[in-house]
Amino acid sequence: MVPPVPSGRSVLRTAVREQRGKVAVGALLGSGHQIGEALVPVLIGVVIDQAVTDSDTGALVVWLGVLAVGYVGLALSFRFGAWTGDLAATRAEHKLRVTLVERVVAPGGGTERGRLPGALVNIATEDAKRVGVSIMALMIGTSALMGLLTCAVVLLSTSVTLGLVVLLGTPVLLWLGHLLSKPLEARSGAEQERAAHASAVAADLVAGLRILKGIGGEPTAVTRYRTTSRESLQATLRAARAQAFQNGTVLALTGCLIAAAALVGGRLAADGSITLGQLVSAVGLALFLLGPLQTLAWVNAELAQGRASAARIADVLATPPAVPSVDDSGSALPGPAEPVHGALRLTGVRHGGLDALDLTVAPGELLGVAATDPAHAADLIRCLARGSDPEDGTVELDGVPLSDLDPAALRTHLLVAEHDADLFEGTVHSNVTAAANGASDPGPAMAAAGVTEVLRTLPDGAASAVSERGRSLSGGQRQRVALARALAAERPVLVLHDPTTAVDAVTESEVAAGIRELRAGRTTVVVTTSPALLSVADRVALLVDGRVTDTGTHSELVGRHEVYRSAVLS
Amino acid sequence: MTRPVASEEADRPERDPRTASQSPATPGTEEEMPESGAPQARQPEGERELLPTATGAQTWAAVRELVRPRRGLALAGFVAMVVATAIGLLIQPLLGRIVDLVAEQRPPDALTLPVVLLVVVAVAQGGATALGLSLVSHLGEGVLARLRERFVANALRLPLGQVEKAGAGDLTARVTRDVSMVGEAVRSALPELARSVLAIVLTLAAMAALDWRFLLAALIAVPIQAHTARWYVRRAVPLYAQQRIATGAQQQQLLDTVAGSGTVRAFRIEEQHTELVTRRSSTAVGLTMRGVRLVLDFYNRLHVAEYAGLAAVLVTGFLLVRSDSVSIGTATAAALYFHSLFTPVNQALVLLDDAQSANASLARIVGVTSARPAPGEPAEHRRTEGTEATGGTVPRIEVDEHADAPGVTVTVSGLDHAYEPGRPVLHDVDLTLHPGELVALVGPSGAGKTTLAKLVAGVHRPTAGTVRLTGGGSASSGPPVALITQETHVFAGPLEDDLRLARADATDEELRAALATVESLDWALALPDGLSTVVGEGGHRLTAAQVQQLALARLVLADPPVAVLDEATAEAGSTGARLLEKAAQRAVGGRTALVVAHRLTQAASADRVVVMEEGRIVQSGTHAELCAAPGPYADLWEAWSGAR
Repeated sequence: MVPPVPSGRSVLRTAVREQRGKVAVGALLGSGHQIGEALVPVLIGVVIDQAVTDSDTGALVVWLGVLAVGYVGLALSFRFGAWTGDLAATRAEHKLRVTLVERVVAPGGGTERGRLPGALVNIATEDAKRVGVSIMALMIGTSALMGLLTCAVVLLSTSVTLGLVVLLGTPVLLWLGHLLSKPLEARSGAEQERAAHASAVAADLVAGLRILKGIGGEPTAVTRYRTTSRESLQATLRAARAQAFQNGTVLALTGCLIAAAALVGGRLAADGSITLGQLVSAVGLALFLLGPLQTLAWVNAELAQGRASAARIADVLATPPAVPSVDDSGSALPGPAEPVHGALRLTGVRHGGLDALDLTVAPGELLGVAATDPAHAADLIRCLARGSDPEDGTVELDGVPLSDLDPAALRTHLLVAEHDADLFEGTVHSNVTAAANGASDPGPAMAAAGVTEVLRTLPDGAASAVSERGRSLSGGQRQRVALARALAAERPVLVLHDPTTAVDAVTESEVAAGIRELRAGRTTVVVTTSPALLSVADRVALLVDGRVTDTGTHSELVGRHEVYRSAVLS
Repeated sequence: MTRPVASEEADRPERDPRTASQSPATPGTEEEMPESGAPQARQPEGERELLPTATGAQTWAAVRELVRPRRGLALAGFVAMVVATAIGLLIQPLLGRIVDLVAEQRPPDALTLPVVLLVVVAVAQGGATALGLSLVSHLGEGVLARLRERFVANALRLPLGQVEKAGAGDLTARVTRDVSMVGEAVRSALPELARSVLAIVLTLAAMAALDWRFLLAALIAVPIQAHTARWYVRRAVPLYAQQRIATGAQQQQLLDTVAGSGTVRAFRIEEQHTELVTRRSSTAVGLTMRGVRLVLDFYNRLHVAEYAGLAAVLVTGFLLVRSDSVSIGTATAAALYFHSLFTPVNQALVLLDDAQSANASLARIVGVTSARPAPGEPAEHRRTEGTEATGGTVPRIEVDEHADAPGVTVTVSGLDHAYEPGRPVLHDVDLTLHPGELVALVGPSGAGKTTLAKLVAGVHRPTAGTVRLTGGGSASSGPPVALITQETHVFAGPLEDDLRLARADATDEELRAALATVESLDWALALPDGLSTVVGEGGHRLTAAQVQQLALARLVLADPPVAVLDEATAEAGSTGARLLEKAAQRAVGGRTALVVAHRLTQAASADRVVVMEEGRIVQSGTHAELCAAPGPYADLWEAWSGAR
């Protein structure tokens, strides 16, 4: 559906095309409604003319009947037109949102680079909604044009002079109003932004409440907030005054237009060119006309915003993946050959701070990697997780370079559990079993990761709720649940990055033993400087300046290597 | 009253009640929780006790109190709005007058006077409206500013225990969603509502002035409208509440999935998450469409009312003209009056909903601005001069004349604590921290370390036992005990402002010294604008370790005699943790300090190590002593140092 490199225009066009049936029906019915609305003042004029002036009961009944029919027509077309329009808008919005999320979580990744999660979420909500509203605006614009056209026809057929006064006067009035308010609008936009600042600062202070209380900073914060709030108030008041002035101006100009229509219409009626009822209709239409014209201005602004939103959406969809899932010729890459033995080999890897790193992990080995620089550890993790491929050198699984493998298929065999892995909303159980295929019992994984102990303090055990990103748990609890999830996934190869930094020393030792037992016989790499974890590893590789300078058991390295001692024990 | 607004507001999305009542998702506020949010599991007690919400009477009292000092302004604004609306009502009789003049076949020049009057009316109405709106917004914004200042002041004063019980999301939701809801109402809904109501009332009065029978005809529409409004509000309020929950849930799911996309990919749960987002989004879309349907039905009913009223007014005009009771011009004016009522009536009915949500938000805000500490929680104790005290037990430093050393002694005796009756977390804990002593707490999770730390810091009131602070007098003006937890926050704004929250009058030199103490001066000076660099939300992003160092620098500036550190080094990764440990050690130097140690190296460098198990202290001594004696600590250390 989505073209290879989507642009803002194509996103918008696709969205409209997918909903074209509804868009057409919405525009048609909306037009019917607007025409009906335009005819109401006309009919009032006709009733005055035909029935009230001549006291004609028959005419009154007939024309009230016509008015009733008109009302039913406009009410029904509004009812179904708006319904269809909204349906088209919300469906388009929903579809874009899902497409965006599919792209963000796609195995190739890449969309997070340079974008904060909040910004991406905003694109998936606000921008998707804007595109939906643009579709709505398209329909509303069409309807407004039809209403405008009806007005023009009625007015011009009544009297060319009066018609021209009203048809030309209305846009001139709106233009004048726009001209008068333009400098104000520009200012008020900036000032409203400053006004919003006060709320943002308040939210920020409340978010940091515990920190403030911890250091007794509340009085300072309160005083400072008062200043912010007052400054913000001054800005808001300036904006509000500008707004009030604008409202007053538009009102005065509208009154002047009515006066002009009354003057011209009254003179025409006085010399008999038009009837009294037509005079009444003309004045009514002059007032009505403002509606569609303002609507068109709104539609215009909305479409401009919709285009900008569509461009942002297209930008995300067009982001190239960080790691490819196709080879140079465009055919899909294969997954690793099964069964996976779990032999990892890094040869001459240069990436970030890694300097021609060579490292071999034997199948079934539990290897500890202690890096003196945390940045190097992160670089290593990135290469193994295929967040990106190394700048130089190769990482091989069972002798096949990772870059020749499909990233999604690779991850079903090699799991890299990052230090800052997120938990998801749900329960402890749903988090732990998220990636555990089939009905394997998460019990051993939970026990090994020390989650069993966490469960004792939670209200509902494994069924206890976990709020978004695990915020309802403490840091240590979060880490243990994340570790249990990684263990429960039972991948042939598991890479853990600093899995126990927020866990107390007692528990950490137990967890280290648990990992060793549970992963026995399967390749496991633990990148950490925690002595508790390193002491259970078969072998520890010391990473200094981006290369392996020594390997041995924890006690051996503690015994012979000063750099290791200071990196791990000091 | 004629208003330059589209005749049918419903098809203009910005007038649409459903967009108006959906709180826009605030980007970046990740804290936003749905009202039906998952139960908070942070506290062992599980159940959430939300912060208080004001009753209708309390809310009104609070509003009255805020308006009272500005009542001159309020009166002037009201008068200006009435005048503006009343002037506007002269338009229809003037138009009617023109119709009459034509009907009486007067010379065309006779039209000049009413037309000139129309222009005068227009200008006067515009001027009065501008003045009235300006005065009303002055009043509303002034009240709003005062209200949010009180909210912040009072929110920061609430006892931490009470806020924690309610869940941090509650307070955050109030300060973001509710404040913006009330602000929105003050800025647009309330002035519009006031204008509409005034227009309706005065137009009806004007119709009565033309002929009382026109009023009767117009009132035919009222029962239908009243019934429609009741029908609508009854359905709209719960529906919009559901919508807000669904939108919040969707927002949260998106944030969960997008922020965790790396994890989603690593665990191959892409489909699962796409499915979750699709489901949440579908729910939100479904509810939106239910809202649309409700609004459309609402307008359908209003159309009936419009027709009934208009037909009645026209029939009345017809009858009155036939019996020569009124002129054609008067009948025209009456019809035009009624036609001009459509917009304000629809507006007022739509705004009722906004007004209701704003009122509910206001009640939640006032609930906090007039909140008193809940029973069982220690009253706010970190008060400095200038803020009124509310009583309660406050860990103050008792002056001990016989103290031979400077600094403060912390004496914990017979401490028991249970968050819930029957589930004790601490049993009879006795512990003395000598002046300047650094004590490390070691033990498995669930041993009560954090609880003990919180009790010493005065966050909760212990179930039994006491925590006493005694010292040699001359306590500094700051708080006696500072608490740093793993929870971090960088306050939005310049870095120096963030630091000065801990000591408002700190000089640049003092700021630098504090940063140097925690080994952060180098990176702080290397920031794009040095200490003036804007950090926090929307500013320069600091690393997790830098954020914790900042917290320690604040501690140095606050300069409390007693410091409690809990999990302060947890999130930084193991190598970063070691740097932080050193920074933390320097930050607490010279203070009486209690540190919950995660790494044994932290314990090894402390003056004394206290080992806890199941809510009791099981070992206490220096690192060397404990290593030498058989016991849990020695076992741990052996594993760490690779000595086994």
